[in-house]
Amino acid sequence: MMTSKSGFNTLVRSSPYIMMALLVIPVMGGLIAVVLPAFGWFPVLGQTQFSVDGFVDLWHTPGIGYMALLSVSTSFISTVLAFIITILILGSYFTSPWLSYIQRLLGPILVIPHAAAAIAIGFLITPSGMLSRLVSPWLSGWDAPPDWLYPHDAMGLSIIVGLTLKELPFLLLMALGVLAQPELGHTLRAQHRVALSLGYCPMTAFFKVVLPSLYPFLRLPILAVLAYASASVEIPLILGPNSPPTLAVAIMQWFHDVDLSLRIKASAGAIVQIILTLLLLLSWWRLEKLIKILSQTMLINGKREYAGAIMQNITHVITVVMISTIGLALIGMMLWSVAGFWHFPDVLPQQFVGLHWQSALQQMHTPLIDTVLIGVCATSLAIILTLFTLEAEQHTSKKVSRLSSVIIYLPLLIPSIAFLFGLVWLFEQINSHHSFINVVLAHLLFVLPYVFLSLSGSYRRLDPRFSAVAASLGASDAKIFWKIKLPMLLAPILIACALGLAISFSQYLPTLLAGGGRINTITTEAVSLANGGSRRTSAVYALVQMFLPALGFLLAWALTGLYQKSSLDHTNKEAHANTLN
Amino acid sequence: MLFDKLMFLIKTPKATLNITATALSIFLCASLWAGDADTNGSVTWLDIEARGANQDVYFHAWGGDPQINRYIQWVADQVKQQYQITLHHVKLTDTSEAVSRVLAEKSANNDHNGQVDMVWINGDNFAAMAKHQLLTPLWAAKLPNFGLTDPDNNPAMTRDFGLPTQGMEAPWGKASLTFYYDSLVNHAPPQTLQQLSQWAQLHPGRFTYPKPPDFLGMSFLKYALIVLNHSQPEAVNNLLYQPATLQSQALLLPVLWQYLDNLHPNLWRKGQHFMSNGMALRRLMGDGELSLAFTFSAADVPAAVARFDLPDSIRSYRMQDGSLSNIHFVAIPYNAAHTDSAKLVVNFLLSAQAQAKKQQPSIWGDTSVIALSQLPTAQQAWFKAPTESHPSAQIANQASSPALSEPDPSWTKVIATQWLQRYGVM
Repeated sequence: MMTSKSGFNTLVRSSPYIMMALLVIPVMGGLIAVVLPAFGWFPVLGQTQFSVDGFVDLWHTPGIGYMALLSVSTSFISTVLAFIITILILGSYFTSPWLSYIQRLLGPILVIPHAAAAIAIGFLITPSGMLSRLVSPWLSGWDAPPDWLYPHDAMGLSIIVGLTLKELPFLLLMALGVLAQPELGHTLRAQHRVALSLGYCPMTAFFKVVLPSLYPFLRLPILAVLAYASASVEIPLILGPNSPPTLAVAIMQWFHDVDLSLRIKASAGAIVQIILTLLLLLSWWRLEKLIKILSQTMLINGKREYAGAIMQNITHVITVVMISTIGLALIGMMLWSVAGFWHFPDVLPQQFVGLHWQSALQQMHTPLIDTVLIGVCATSLAIILTLFTLEAEQHTSKKVSRLSSVIIYLPLLIPSIAFLFGLVWLFEQINSHHSFINVVLAHLLFVLPYVFLSLSGSYRRLDPRFSAVAASLGASDAKIFWKIKLPMLLAPILIACALGLAISFSQYLPTLLAGGGRINTITTEAVSLANGGSRRTSAVYALVQMFLPALGFLLAWALTGLYQKSSLDHTNKEAHANTLN
Repeated sequence: MLFDKLMFLIKTPKATLNITATALSIFLCASLWAGDADTNGSVTWLDIEARGANQDVYFHAWGGDPQINRYIQWVADQVKQQYQITLHHVKLTDTSEAVSRVLAEKSANNDHNGQVDMVWINGDNFAAMAKHQLLTPLWAAKLPNFGLTDPDNNPAMTRDFGLPTQGMEAPWGKASLTFYYDSLVNHAPPQTLQQLSQWAQLHPGRFTYPKPPDFLGMSFLKYALIVLNHSQPEAVNNLLYQPATLQSQALLLPVLWQYLDNLHPNLWRKGQHFMSNGMALRRLMGDGELSLAFTFSAADVPAAVARFDLPDSIRSYRMQDGSLSNIHFVAIPYNAAHTDSAKLVVNFLLSAQAQAKKQQPSIWGDTSVIALSQLPTAQQAWFKAPTESHPSAQIANQASSPALSEPDPSWTKVIATQWLQRYGVM
């Protein structure tokens, strides 16, 4: 008993350090392994002299300025849009049941991998896509697809659409997660009601009363979204222009170029990418301060109404357009997956066939098993580490320090394109022949922050009186953890599991690089097939990609419901037994 | 404390370099010695068969085509039966990924236990790997089935884009640039490069090529470069098969840029956007956005019709002024963990059985590298085309289109770089 108790305490105490090490060493190691070639150190090519030739090369790349500008503008605009729409939706539907309907409609989008979403959106706006088929030829007169420039427009508008649609559900769900915290949510709703009773219009009440308290909880998710968008590869690759592409896409192409000397330029590009991302984060932070100062007087000027009705109507339109866009894209994917030949401008395929599903499913089982296995391993590790770390935080009764809370977001804030190539080199040094373990570790880097993000709120807000009562009755820390805290946290834990699985399922670059191509998941297969010539096969893979994480969430909800029902039954039986006695 | 650790990490690569040098020299000695042993005949094919059986082989090959993937799966079943070898197809989106991997292994001093046992390769990737000594030399000609390609009469079997293979790779198949079109939309597809330019003027936005450095896009540019210089004196033309110099570029390239300047405004998206890969052309054909496209794997076209990815009215042909032709190969990296097993697999790939299967349009449709004269008559019959294939499998002009050989690999880089400078940035 004594040993198991102290064993638990040791485990709990060391967890934060293990977690930090797991996050810091790969990222920092990977970065160092990229910084060295960036400054000319690349022994395989016989380069052992430090120099800035890589940066000079980068500077002379045609269109480099445009590449950087495209990365910055698309990520910034899409994040601003996603944030504005998020708060518009929250503000407009704060007190209405519609909020949970919208949440339920947008929730699944969160788990759609970026590549799949980009393929779906691309099909919608491409000249032969669903939108153009819906108006052809009766309205547009097009018998053949028009020759317009969307997607792949030079301004990056298609990238902005793709990123906004993908980022919005994440921010919205994060915000709703904050509001779902019993104490905070209750307080904010009460304050909102007070503001309404004082004659504030609902929208103004939200902006003046709820948002200032809500925003601090959204800051890190927003920064993560901004950082991700500035260096993401999948969406700009599928929807963006390529003359020139965004910086991250160009870096990836240089890393993969047969001309090995381009690695030096690619590494220099990765450093520039990090600087760009950091600058973006910094400007967001400064902008936030500026808005805070500017809005100070507005918050307390007592004005009750700022065109709330118009804003609400605009929000309705945005919401409807967004949800129907997503719906139409999904319908398009489903149609493609069963389409025989689909002549333009027909809205529906001439015939429906099961051929694509049949042949895809035949080849899918190994990647499917690997996908699930990797997801389960990475997620379990992440959940265990997160729970122990949070428990350690309560033992020492101080929050994880500011520095370490930034470290948790390190893999989300530093562009993965910058450190993953270095990480592969590190893996080579340590264990090059355990691709599976390498992939799980690489996934853990991205799964851990999200799991932590999703669990920490509920854990920290767990009423301490339960533990206090249990402790006063003589229960050990371990017993309190296993018997009281975990059962009470079952629902958030299951949701965090589902989120972790979803994040793992959607990883492309980490799987490809850490696995050395030996480990195929549904996502790596989907991206390599999206590269191929068949919309039909990629539609099947994209749908499977969406189905897997959705299954995780369904399971989480179902299990929570089942547990609550059974514990309720249990309590009822006990109560019944007590009355009988 | 942390600073010390960082310094340690920074210092490590220096140490690594020394180790690399030592390991490399040991490896070189070892391989020279092994080479001697081979030429002395002390390692026979029977030894290789004995040592290579019962192992795993990791075959890194482009995985974007279900038809090819299925063929490799068939090969895996066969070598399992014959040698108890488990062949894993590592599906690449781009062959350069395998090049990067071997390079990363070399930089990590992994000189004997590499992850790549076999790689499907040709052209630039081969040139790059050969240049950095990433491949096992002098093994291909020792394969028992290599003789079936009749290398004495087919010098092409030992040259990859003009570079001598030095036994670093074994031929696997042949391909030629083949055009295809929708016969319902497009009644008179262009038959020459010059006609293509006029055709594009009449049908703006219905043709494009993938953006360099994509393999297929580069192939179109090389085809254009060769054809546009046809009228030049032979001495000038021959410069294409030598490393590109500033002087030869000045002689050969201007006609290409002139042609493209003329063509681009009539291309899909007015030449302001080019798809990043060759397969995308097929998708755009299926969507009806293009009415003319081209490919290096002609058998892909009828297969795509069967999968409904292309309309039934698709037909294939070769350009009358020539079609760029090349051979693709399989190579074994210098540090492959299962070299002997890989040799057994490659030898099987070169067998009449495997080559005949690969040539069937319904399987892959890739032209065999075997010289049929080397085979007994019964086996020659395996290579006959079946009669009941889709009309798009019949390639018009196949006999009359002269085969154009690949220019020296140095041209690829020259064309790609200058193309990107001219057209890659708006």
